[in-house]
Amino acid sequence: MENTSKAMIEARNVNVYYDDNHAIKNVDLDISSGTVTALIGPSGCGKSTFLRCINRMNDSIPSCRITGSITLDGQDIYDKAIDVVQLRARVGMVFQKPNPFPKSIYDNVAYGPRIHGFARNSAELDEIVFTSLQKSGLWDEVKDRLNTSGTALSGGQQQRLCIARTIAVNPEVILMDEPCSALDPIATAIIEELIEELRSRFAIVIVTHSMQQAARVSQKTAFFHLGEILEFGDTSEIFTNPKVEKTKDYITGRYG
Amino acid sequence: MTDKDLTSGSPWTTDAMQKRLKKRYRKEAIFKAVGLSGLLIGLCALAILVISIFTTGLSGFKETRLTIDVYMDPAIIKATPDLDEDARTAHMARVNHRALIRNSLRLEFPDVKSRRDIMALQRLTSNGARDEVRQGLIDDPTIIGKTIPMNLRASSTVDMYIKGQISRDVAQSSRKISDKQLVWLDKLSAEGRIVKGINWEFLSSGDSREPELAGILGAAVGSLLTLLVTLVIAFPIGVATAIYLEEFAPRNKWTDMIEININNLAAVPSIIFGLLGLAIFLNVFNMPRSAPLVGGLTLALMTLPTIIITSRAAIRAVPPSIREAAIGMGASRIQTQLHHVLPLSMPGILTGTIIGMAQALGETAPLLMIGMVAFIVDVPEGILDAATALPVQIFLWADSAERGFMEKTSAAIIVLLFFLVLMNGLAIWMRHKFEKRW
Repeated sequence: MENTSKAMIEARNVNVYYDDNHAIKNVDLDISSGTVTALIGPSGCGKSTFLRCINRMNDSIPSCRITGSITLDGQDIYDKAIDVVQLRARVGMVFQKPNPFPKSIYDNVAYGPRIHGFARNSAELDEIVFTSLQKSGLWDEVKDRLNTSGTALSGGQQQRLCIARTIAVNPEVILMDEPCSALDPIATAIIEELIEELRSRFAIVIVTHSMQQAARVSQKTAFFHLGEILEFGDTSEIFTNPKVEKTKDYITGRYG
Repeated sequence: MTDKDLTSGSPWTTDAMQKRLKKRYRKEAIFKAVGLSGLLIGLCALAILVISIFTTGLSGFKETRLTIDVYMDPAIIKATPDLDEDARTAHMARVNHRALIRNSLRLEFPDVKSRRDIMALQRLTSNGARDEVRQGLIDDPTIIGKTIPMNLRASSTVDMYIKGQISRDVAQSSRKISDKQLVWLDKLSAEGRIVKGINWEFLSSGDSREPELAGILGAAVGSLLTLLVTLVIAFPIGVATAIYLEEFAPRNKWTDMIEININNLAAVPSIIFGLLGLAIFLNVFNMPRSAPLVGGLTLALMTLPTIIITSRAAIRAVPPSIREAAIGMGASRIQTQLHHVLPLSMPGILTGTIIGMAQALGETAPLLMIGMVAFIVDVPEGILDAATALPVQIFLWADSAERGFMEKTSAAIIVLLFFLVLMNGLAIWMRHKFEKRW
């Protein structure tokens, strides 16, 4: 593992409740920059719930209650002093289903910089849009039709547009909630390549149901089961030599 | 399916199965026929309605005029040449125009002698003819002493006879027009001095006691002002309420109760809203009676539930993924609403609003309660002037004893339908214009 820097995100003793339903139990997890961390586990095990805790997307669910601490660069993100709007810019998110805004491709990418006031003039905004689209590998495909609607793109392109939109606000962490589950194998391969490229600049957390995908793109893997992390470690270690029986059963397809 | 069927060949080819198939197709055909006939009945009803309104109403837009050589008798006008313009206008307004017309008609029909007959002769023209003579004098004072051919408005009875609404075949006692009047009209007709045209007055003046002089403009302007007040009050409040309830309000007993009440309010009879307007706006706040302001406020109360309910449905129809995307980008809740949810739900909100407004345009009962049912001749100039509204005008005319108001009633209905179609067309156009696909 080339990256040995201190963890950017440290989750300690995190518990999440939906009313009486204890969805996440005592989860500890470190997420480092320059690393892709995969969260795997059977459906309903709390992977996505945990992911959404990291940028406080669960705030909008009234019945959701969170205890424990999650820190970003040593700062508790559930602290009252934290501005949740800024937090979500620092911790970007890509969703399961591509969800570009029904606006032009340009406006999709420019939306984040606009609301956060990143660009002083239109030339700077153009530059941000250009670099974001280039980083997401979409520039060559859309450079001639920046004014057409983002929803007119194909599924894989839409998802890359969503990634471009996210990196346009220069986040530190990108959360991906099953980003390829709605895509065909070719589009998936392109996104996976993209994740590999983005790894050097961002910490990436990816929830996936595909064992192969987790093995291909991640350096660290956490196995969730019924709201708990049963095993967390280097991906190569987990996939070749799992220490817990349940993990072994799951990744070999005997369970889940 | 029994084992025997399976062993004796495919179950799909048995007689029983064929029968079932036939039955299924027959049921489908019956269902289709019932649906189609329902549609046909509906269309027929609509066609009958439209045809009956248009056949009686279209003549309301036409008028009859009689070409009379009016002798501008200086002895009656008694104008002094040294008057300035204002004084002359004032003087011309005081002239006995009725006598001018009567004398001219007597010159036209010299054998009419008795007082009764002269009165009957005079009644061929409308009271509005006097105003036309006066206007002629004011426009051009040099016509004094000359004989000028003028197209004077015919009375409602003559108008109806010319339009064929009074038959000359019935006995004199059971029609409003006498045999003598018919003879005079025949003479005028033979000389080509009965002129038919479009009744611009109907579209450009207020109400009148005389059918041939009554116009729809006063009511139309009253409706317009009322709807303007309704829109300005109900649209922002309705949309804001919808956004709050749908996106911000916590789910608890209170919001549940508010929601139930809003839904119930949409079904409250409109006259109740009229009573509410009467009690609050007139009795508590002492606002002017019969004013579009009060009418608009009352109709706004009535329209609010409709706007809130349709707006909430439109907001709910925006996919949650769009909200997640915006929040995930770090947009605040208000930014999410203003940048994404509201623009996407706008077509639905506008459609709902216009449908609510169209409903308000056709509403009569609440306006009766707040005094917009009065006989008002002047076209209102502001939201504080006394006014009436299109449906109320229709109600007033339909209630009127004069037969001439029958065609005016239908004509007013045509005007109201025109505005309704216009508003619905606007709703469709806006929906297409603002619609975005994803």
